[in-house]
Amino acid sequence: MKRLTWITDLFPNAYYVARREYLIRTRSRTFAILTIGIALVGLALTLLPLGIRLIGGDKPSRIAVYSTLTNLSVDPATTLQASLNASSASDQSGSGSSGPRYILVPTSNPASAKDEVSSDKLDGLLSLSRATDGDIAFDYFSKDSPTSQRLALVRQAAGSLAVADRLQRAGVPAADRGRIFAPTAFVATPADPVAARRNQDQFVPSYILATVFVILMFMAIQVYGNWVAASVAEEKNSRVMELLISAATPRQLLFGKVLGNGAAGLTQYLVVLVAAAVGFILQGRLSNALLGGSGATTIPGVTPFVLGWFGVFFVTGFIEYTILYAAAGSMVSRQEDVQQIAGPLTFLGLGGYLLSFLAINVIDAGWVRILSFVPFISPFFFPARIVLSDPAPWEYALSLALTLVGILGGLWVAARIYAAGVLLYGQRPTIRAMWRATVEQR
Amino acid sequence: MSLVVDRISKSFGPVRALDGISFSVEPGRIFGLLGANGAGKTTTMRIVLDILRPDSGAVTWQGTANAELPRRTWGYLPEERGLYPRMKVIDVLRFFAALYGVPDADATAEAEDWLERFRVPEYRDRKVEELSKGNQQKIQFIAAILHDPAVLIMDEPFSGLDPVNVQLLKEAFLEMRDRGKTLIFSTHQMEQVEELCEAITIIDRGRVVESGPLREVKRRMGRQVVRLAMEQADGAASGAGLAEAERGDGLGWIEEIPGVTLTRRGEDYVEMHVASGADPESILQAALARGDRVTRFEIADPSLEEIFIERVGHRAIEEERHLAGGRQERDASAAESAQEEVAAR
Repeated sequence: MKRLTWITDLFPNAYYVARREYLIRTRSRTFAILTIGIALVGLALTLLPLGIRLIGGDKPSRIAVYSTLTNLSVDPATTLQASLNASSASDQSGSGSSGPRYILVPTSNPASAKDEVSSDKLDGLLSLSRATDGDIAFDYFSKDSPTSQRLALVRQAAGSLAVADRLQRAGVPAADRGRIFAPTAFVATPADPVAARRNQDQFVPSYILATVFVILMFMAIQVYGNWVAASVAEEKNSRVMELLISAATPRQLLFGKVLGNGAAGLTQYLVVLVAAAVGFILQGRLSNALLGGSGATTIPGVTPFVLGWFGVFFVTGFIEYTILYAAAGSMVSRQEDVQQIAGPLTFLGLGGYLLSFLAINVIDAGWVRILSFVPFISPFFFPARIVLSDPAPWEYALSLALTLVGILGGLWVAARIYAAGVLLYGQRPTIRAMWRATVEQR
Repeated sequence: MSLVVDRISKSFGPVRALDGISFSVEPGRIFGLLGANGAGKTTTMRIVLDILRPDSGAVTWQGTANAELPRRTWGYLPEERGLYPRMKVIDVLRFFAALYGVPDADATAEAEDWLERFRVPEYRDRKVEELSKGNQQKIQFIAAILHDPAVLIMDEPFSGLDPVNVQLLKEAFLEMRDRGKTLIFSTHQMEQVEELCEAITIIDRGRVVESGPLREVKRRMGRQVVRLAMEQADGAASGAGLAEAERGDGLGWIEEIPGVTLTRRGEDYVEMHVASGADPESILQAALARGDRVTRFEIADPSLEEIFIERVGHRAIEEERHLAGGRQERDASAAESAQEEVAAR
C-alpha cells in the first residue's frame, strides 16, 4: 500500500512542526489577549439570563384592581389573581420559574394607579363597575399591546369572573359554580415530535446554542485560517522555508502547521468552555443569593454529548479549512498579499456560515440534511442539526467520515500547491498558477 | 559509489533552466559547483535534494534514486539565509534536528559543541534576530549538519562572512570531509574552490561547460602560466628588471618567444601564457641570456578564475563581481584596492 504511506509518513515531523507552531502561537501576547477576551464574552453570555431576571424581565406582573362593586360574593383581586396564575402556570409548564406570575393588589385611588402604570411602577389597572344591564363591566388600563399574552390572560380571567357573577345572580349554588369552572382534560399530541420541540421552551436556548456555535466556528476559521496563511507567507518571506522544505516534506509541514494552529484553537475553545461552565455555576449561586429560592437555571440542550460533538466538528471543520489557508499562504511571499489570496476562502466559509442561518429555521428540510454531509458545509450544518433536530447514528458517522475525506483530499491538493508555491517568489498568485501547481510536477 | 547527476533537465514555463546537466561526485570529497548568476546552480541543488523534480534525468546517491532516500541523507545550506527570527538559537537548532530525527539531548549536545567550535557559545540562548548576519549564517550551517548528513550541499556558504569566519568555515569543511562526508558547494570566490575542491563542474546557462578533477580541468586548458621577476645588476627590482624609460616596448623580447603571450605587467612580476607546444624553459633561458638576475620563475597551471572567465565569458564574471560587490564588504575592499592599483599606474 505505497499510496497510503504519505499519510503514515506525516509523523513524527508533522508533530514537531505542530509543537513549534503551538508554542509560538500560545505564547504570543495577541493570543493571551484574544483568549481572555472571548472567555469574558463567554462568561458574560452565560450570566445574561440571570442579569435579565435581575433587571426585571422575569418579575411577576403587578396589576392594580379598583372595584366599586358591593354585592360580589368574592374578593375580585384575590379571585382574578388565582385564575391568572392558574392559567399562566398551565401555559408555561416546566419553565422552572418559582412564585406567582401575577400579583393583583386592590386600590382605592384609580388616578394615582394610572400614574403608576404610566411610570411603569404597575403593569396595569383593572377597574370593575356595574353596567346598566347588571353585568360587571371591566376597564383595563395598561401599556400592553393588543396581542400580548398578559392582555389575553387578563381578559380571560375577567370573563370568568363575570360569568361567575352571572351564575351567582341567577341563583346557582356555590358548589355547582365551582364545578363549572373546573379545568377540562385537554391533551395535545404532536404529529411531529421534533417539530413540536420548536414550540417548547427548549427550542429557544437550542436555537441560540446553534447560532453561537456557527458564529464561533466561522470566527475560528477566519482568525486561525488567516494566521496559518500569514505564518506560511512569513516563513517564505524570512526564507526559512528553503531549510524547512529540505528537512521535511510539504505534507508534513502543511499538516503540522494546521495541527499546531488547530490545537491552539482548541485551547481557546476549551478556555471558553471552562469560562461558560464557571458562568453556569456562578449563575446558580448568584441567583440563589440575589433572587432567593431555587433559581438555578440550566440551559436545556447543553449536555456533554452535545459539547463533545461540537468539539469534534469544531476541530475537523477547522482542520479542513485551515489546510486550504496554508496552501493559499504558500502562494504569496508578502504579508500584504495574504488577505487577497485568502479572499476566495473567506467566501467559502461565509457561504457555509450564511446558509446555516437559513438552515437553522428549516432544520429538517431535505437540502439541509444533504448539505450537512457535504465537506466544508457540514462543520456548520451538522452541529446545528445535533441540537435542533435528532440525526440518526449513521448520519453522525457519515458526516464525520466525509469530513475526513474532505481533509485528506484537501491535504493532497494543498500539499501540491504548497510544494510548488513555497519556492515561487515574486510571481502573481493566479488561479492558473495554482492549477499548474496542482497538476504539474514539482 | 558516488553521487551521480545524470542528464537532468528542467524548464520553468518557457525558460529552460537546466539542459542535460551531468556530473558525479566521489564520496568523501569536496566538490565545487560553479557558474554565473542564473546559470542553474540553485536549481541543480534543489533537484539533487528532491525539493524540485527534474523534467527528465535522474539523481542517485550510492545507487539509490534521490526520491527514495531519507531526507536526513542531505544537509542543505540554502543561498537565501533564513531562520525563525524570534526563536532562541538552541531551540531553532533542536527544531531542525528533530525534523531530521535527532533526539533532543543529542541535538543539544552537538549544537553546543559546534557553537563552541564557531566561538559563539554565548549565543545559545539568544534570539536569532539579535545575531549579526554572519553569525546567523554560522547557526544555519550548524542547522544543516546537526543530523550528521552523508552529503552536505551548500549554496554560497562563504558569502557575507569575514575572513576569520571564512577560515572557521573552511576548517569545518575539512573536518566534515575527514569524517567521510561528501561536500558540494557553490561560490563565486575561486580561491576558495582552488583551496578546497578536488573536482569541479562549471555550469553556464543550464549546461555543463567544464567538469572533472581540478587538475585535469586545468590541464585541459592546454597551456601553462609563467610568472617571472628579475633584478638588474644595480639592484633595482622590477617586474622584469626593466628601467622606467624602457617600459612598454622593453618587454618585447618576451612576446617574441613563440607561443608566449604576456598577460600581466606588474611591478612585482610579469605573467605570461605559454601555449601547449611551447617550452616554458625557453623563457628562463632568454631571461638569463639578457644578463639580469632572475628572482622568480614559476611554472603554473592557469588559475580557476581564468578558466571560469574563459568558459563563461567576460561579461558574466563582471556581472558577478558587480553583484557580489554590492553584497559583501569583503569585495568592496577588494574593489578599493583595485582602484588604488589603477591610480598607481
